[in-house]
Amino acid sequence: MGTKTQQTTVADAVETRLPGNLTMHAGLVGAIALMSAPLVLALVMSTQTTTEVYQVTNLGIGSQGLSNYQTALTEYGFANYMLNSLVMSVVIVVGKVTLSLLAALALVYYDFPFQRGVFMFVLLTLLLPVPVRIVPLFQLMADLGWTNTLLALTGPYIASATAVFLFRQHFMSIPSSLVEAARLDGVGPLTFLVKVLIPMSRGMIAGVAVITFIYAWNQFLWPLVAVTDKSSQVVQVGIRYIQGSAQAGLTRWGLIMAGAVLALLPPLLVLIALHRPLLETFAIQQK
Amino acid sequence: MSTQTKPYDSIPQAAVLLLPTAVVLVAFLYYPGLETFRLSLYETLFLGQQTNWVGLGNFAELATSSAYHNSFLITVLFAAIVVVGTLSLSLVISYMLFHVEVGSSTYLVAAIWPYALPPAVAAILLNFLLHPNLGIFTHYLELLTPFTLDWFNSGPQAFGVVAVVAIWKQLGYNIIFLVAALNNVPESLRETARIDGVGHLRLLYKVYIPLVSPTLVFLAVMNTIYSFFSTFPLVDLMTSGGPSDATNFLIFKLYRDAFEFSSLGLASAESVVLFVLVAILMYGQIRLSDEYAQYGV
Repeated sequence: MGTKTQQTTVADAVETRLPGNLTMHAGLVGAIALMSAPLVLALVMSTQTTTEVYQVTNLGIGSQGLSNYQTALTEYGFANYMLNSLVMSVVIVVGKVTLSLLAALALVYYDFPFQRGVFMFVLLTLLLPVPVRIVPLFQLMADLGWTNTLLALTGPYIASATAVFLFRQHFMSIPSSLVEAARLDGVGPLTFLVKVLIPMSRGMIAGVAVITFIYAWNQFLWPLVAVTDKSSQVVQVGIRYIQGSAQAGLTRWGLIMAGAVLALLPPLLVLIALHRPLLETFAIQQK
Repeated sequence: MSTQTKPYDSIPQAAVLLLPTAVVLVAFLYYPGLETFRLSLYETLFLGQQTNWVGLGNFAELATSSAYHNSFLITVLFAAIVVVGTLSLSLVISYMLFHVEVGSSTYLVAAIWPYALPPAVAAILLNFLLHPNLGIFTHYLELLTPFTLDWFNSGPQAFGVVAVVAIWKQLGYNIIFLVAALNNVPESLRETARIDGVGHLRLLYKVYIPLVSPTLVFLAVMNTIYSFFSTFPLVDLMTSGGPSDATNFLIFKLYRDAFEFSSLGLASAESVVLFVLVAILMYGQIRLSDEYAQYGV
């Protein structure tokens, strides 16, 4: 015990001797550099030829320029995978937001029996992530004839307990004077949703959309199981193909890195552009 | 919660609004969920051509299978390492962010970006950067430490490498929540905490960690569920469960039993086990947050 307090006081003394903020900034820059190093290195290596890659410490921009990207997009089908991923993610985002807004409208602004029960029925699905139901879900897709289609990739994801929960929370926080005004004017429910609720929930809708887009784009296990036909596959599984096929002779790591960068860019750009609504939505989810 | 005035009372209209969500949830969540329980009582023979009722036979098989025991143990150990590693690192980074008070923007986005990182991409990047012969990280690691990286053949090393990637990928999500929680600490408490001569580490440990403990509990549960499920791409792309089953986690074993060996009944029984684990975790989280709510934290 005695040594322990001594140790901490020494640490305290060292810390207080340095201007606190400088230490903090240095620590942050170091942590961020470590976290981002793999990404920066991947960008560099994606411009190198296989020979340059095999010179381990060669960190110069390679002589390939962007030709690895061109090869990945054309010869390795990444253009097609990216398009499939984009269509799947957009359909899931639009479907999830629409369905959840309608459900939240009913839960908050309609008087009907067993409301709590209906809400619990929606919330309980949180206990059923894909791995817990993957075998019957796969069989169901085969029975419906949906295997290898967009329906299989999107269907299981377009209803969401989390989105319904968030929209319901948000609607409940809207001042009731507004609702009263709507009622006195005799506005119909859909007009009320489009003219009043949606404009007042822009931030929340943006947040749910960003979280959903990133989640959908990054899916790997379900597309791997539900899609066997390469032409309908998404880019995350495309990475699996490129890693497998680029390994003849000397592995073309530059090409694989280019594929990885392509698969990462869309969600990363969406996060950078829309981090504000995402952070606000998460802050509400915690409360 | 204030009770909202309910301007509408048409039950058929409410039903129509709820119908799309209800149909999707019943068809793709509840039905397959219940079907998993039913399938777990059958065994599949001849690649799914024939099914026989075996009652709890699949569960008995799991209970006596040493491969499954191994998978269960390493999954729990892996989750523990990922939870502790992720929480400690993200606490330190979040505290630094909170302390320099940059608000949001550049620093914050630079620290949370791994939230957008696809697990498959994380796996493939480090497959290359930590490659035993070609990896630049490997090169400098072996230059600076007496360590030799040989994770294609060494089970414990492969386990460690997958854990590092899992923690790296999960940092962003944790930092998002911890920065928000630290910023929610009341100003008056922050003032009292600025005692002269007390170092940041002690301040973090003595003052801030107790104050953000509800968020830590929430994140511990979320990180555990993440370790159980979201590490599938890492194992699939980095180690394929090897070497000698050192990374054959429950989710990977389930995938193989179902889609490589077509033992659908056995795989469903494994799904049921995962369902029970998730249910226990969620229940624990709800109970704990109720307790915090009572004490007004």
